[in-house]
Amino acid sequence: VRAGVVRARAFACASVFALACSWAGCATSAYQRAGSSDDVAAALSKTDAAAVTGRPQNAAGRALAFLALGGTKGPRLAAYDLSASRLLWTQPADLKARVAVGADVLVYAAADALVARDVTTGAERWRQPIAKDERLLGYTIDGRTAYLVVQEGGVHLHGGKASVRALDATTGSARWRHEVASGNVGAPVARGGLVAVPVQSQYVTLLDARDGEQLAQVLSNEEAATFVRALPEGLFFGSAGVFRLAPGTAAGSRKSNGYVRAKLPAFVRPVYWFDLYRPEQGDYSALDRNRILWRMTATDGGGDARFRNDLALVHNYRFFFGFDARTGELKWAYNHPGSEAVSSALVGDAVAFVTADGELGALDARTGARTFSAKLPGEVVRGATFDAEGWAPSGAAQPTAPLADTLTAIVWDLDRRFWDVKMFAIEELARQPGHEVTAQLLKITEQEGLPPAVYQKAGEALVARKDGSAADLLARVLATHADYADGKAAPAVEILARAAGAMQARAAAPALVMHLRRPETPPAAVTQIARALAAMGATDALPALRDFVTMYRADPLYDGDPTPLVAASEAMLALGGPGERQLLLYLAEEPHTVEPLRVHLRRALAQTAGAEARLREAATSSADE
Amino acid sequence: LIVVMLFSSGAAQAGKVAKGKGTKGAASEAKKEPPKLPAEKLAKVRDILLGDDEPGAIDAAKVLGLSGASNAVEPLIDLLSVGGPPGRLEAALDALGALGDPRAIDPLELYAGNHSADVRRHAVKALAAVKDEHVVPALTAALGDSAPDVRAAAADALAARKETKAAPRLLALVKRNDAGAAPALGLLATPDLVPQLAELQGTVDDNVVASALGEYVKRDDVADGLRVDVVRTIGHLSGAAATTALVEYVASVPAKDDRPSKKEAQKLLDEKGPSK
Repeated sequence: VRAGVVRARAFACASVFALACSWAGCATSAYQRAGSSDDVAAALSKTDAAAVTGRPQNAAGRALAFLALGGTKGPRLAAYDLSASRLLWTQPADLKARVAVGADVLVYAAADALVARDVTTGAERWRQPIAKDERLLGYTIDGRTAYLVVQEGGVHLHGGKASVRALDATTGSARWRHEVASGNVGAPVARGGLVAVPVQSQYVTLLDARDGEQLAQVLSNEEAATFVRALPEGLFFGSAGVFRLAPGTAAGSRKSNGYVRAKLPAFVRPVYWFDLYRPEQGDYSALDRNRILWRMTATDGGGDARFRNDLALVHNYRFFFGFDARTGELKWAYNHPGSEAVSSALVGDAVAFVTADGELGALDARTGARTFSAKLPGEVVRGATFDAEGWAPSGAAQPTAPLADTLTAIVWDLDRRFWDVKMFAIEELARQPGHEVTAQLLKITEQEGLPPAVYQKAGEALVARKDGSAADLLARVLATHADYADGKAAPAVEILARAAGAMQARAAAPALVMHLRRPETPPAAVTQIARALAAMGATDALPALRDFVTMYRADPLYDGDPTPLVAASEAMLALGGPGERQLLLYLAEEPHTVEPLRVHLRRALAQTAGAEARLREAATSSADE
Repeated sequence: LIVVMLFSSGAAQAGKVAKGKGTKGAASEAKKEPPKLPAEKLAKVRDILLGDDEPGAIDAAKVLGLSGASNAVEPLIDLLSVGGPPGRLEAALDALGALGDPRAIDPLELYAGNHSADVRRHAVKALAAVKDEHVVPALTAALGDSAPDVRAAAADALAARKETKAAPRLLALVKRNDAGAAPALGLLATPDLVPQLAELQGTVDDNVVASALGEYVKRDDVADGLRVDVVRTIGHLSGAAATTALVEYVASVPAKDDRPSKKEAQKLLDEKGPSK
């Protein structure tokens, strides 16, 4: 949090500085032309469209997954051919950061060097040492060129100076070097002849991939640019949302058509991409398991940003969700049984993922249907990089379970870490139609040991459903009560009583009466019981209501808050006749009755007496006529 | 004072009549004709019971309970029916317990579900005093009460009634370390429950197990062979309750009775020694 605050302050200061420079015309500033749409347009025009393809980066064009393995066999790197469902190679390798894949080699950070390995065999091709006074801030690879950002001197992101270095990916030999005006630089990305480097959380510097010449600078005025991402459909940057890198977003205006944010539920961690300034996010981590997966609609040179198929997918450990990015509507859900998915990627129309216990899978991004399944037995997977753009698993998709079934499975998942997801699942479950869904919501209220908010959520959903067909089920759930000897707790009576009232569930009235008489029924539940009985016209409950009011009407416990007594007496008035009025009149005058109840009874009796008198008059006059 | 004066002239006499008839014949006569309070006096006591004077009402309830009068139960039920301050209600419950009249079962059951554990305990004790089998379900249900005092009151009442059907629920309570249920379980346990009880050693407080087994060995209906086993089980338990159980068992057996279980208990006590 502290780091975030510091980052926000730094971003604010930098924004003020940048604006001041642009107003004052800082002739000496390295960011003098930052935000120029003309520069950005010119830079993008240099994109080599032929070099940007919708296929994997590796020269063979095969869909591959590179897996960082651990476990008893030690740290290793493995290549898996997704198309052929077979392991290609495994090599001992102690990765300190992610794998980036090029045409012939892949690169990754080791302890003191950037290491390149042959994509086909895994054999080490070259190793670029990082000097002791240098810091590797990030790297990428595009085709046959690798790009590094290295900081010299200073401390991480502070002081010193940084440079972008291009290496021949085949040999590791240097091609060019570009000095950056700051040491505060993030990891680079490259696409179609352009290298994009985030600087000071606010700028994205565009370099010519051929010689490192600076072509343009994006100035992200309204939102920190913590990531830059290269995709076949374009270059993107942002943090809380996504900008398509285009002339229209050169100054980072969120009002531009090139900016988009998905509408997503509260449980979703709004991570659109890894923070390229944070070294821990450069390695496979928990963030890989809990983030948003997205792609953009391709444009013909236009700068608009729109999520592909209007979908924003969410990977949350063992769960995947597909949302309509515009409305937040849940389209599908997938609950992976067993181990959690440690890495995932949206590689076109498929979500590729790998689990911690070595299961590889794919989902149809539009439906959530499982389309691929393979297993590396006995392996422990720490993370993975997918080089599988455009991969379409060839096998037949497994039939998708109904959404309500998947949501139910998520709710009942034994893993107790995911309460936020389960709460969301309950919320979504409540939106699904059907008697069975109501039964599931009731089942949640029966389950002991859940956080109170879960009962509340399920109960609120039941209240909102007003599913009268579930009255018998509700009655069955309410029929249980607390028993110390049996080790049983009471059901969530308060919320179930509300649901019963909303459903007009007369079948539940006897159970509500039983709870009205139970010692453990809390006052708030009594209030809801009384209101429910009145709402459903349960005249059979009158004796119990009478008993409750008389037993507690002089109890000092209700002197402060007489709400349950008031609710019960209101129910008596609503359901009862002269006998009940007479009793309440007595209680209103009896001096031991707690004062707030007496006051209420006098007022309520006077009001209802007036109404009754008017009714009598009306009846008499109509009879006379 | 008013209550005492009233009763000194009527209600209390009725009570005295009931108490005075101590001979066998007189007792059977009293059973046929329970004392009855004069209507006028009863009306006045009822007014006090339902009136503004709290101490007076509590005294009235007590005196009605002590009267043993057959018509004393009605004003008490009336009070419970319209409700009142908790102290007055508890006094009425105690009085109904003293009267032991089955007509009070319904209001007593109602108050056995009161939110106050104190009120529930008074109600359960009053139910326990009613010599009618209709109270058994309420007493058995009260074993599931959240308050230990209420459960203990119900357990004692069921043990006193020799309600062996309550033994499984009592065992469930002992499994939850409920000390209040242990003596009652010892008094009601059937032989098939004894091994289950003994197996609780280590999972439940030894004092609770010893308390239950201590009551069990003192029962006349237990075969001495089984008693020896139970005595040995008690001997393996730690804590003061185990020693107390053995001492009480030895003391409960007549001096001339030289049964093996007694010898075993004495032997175990000797082994434990005075310091233990």
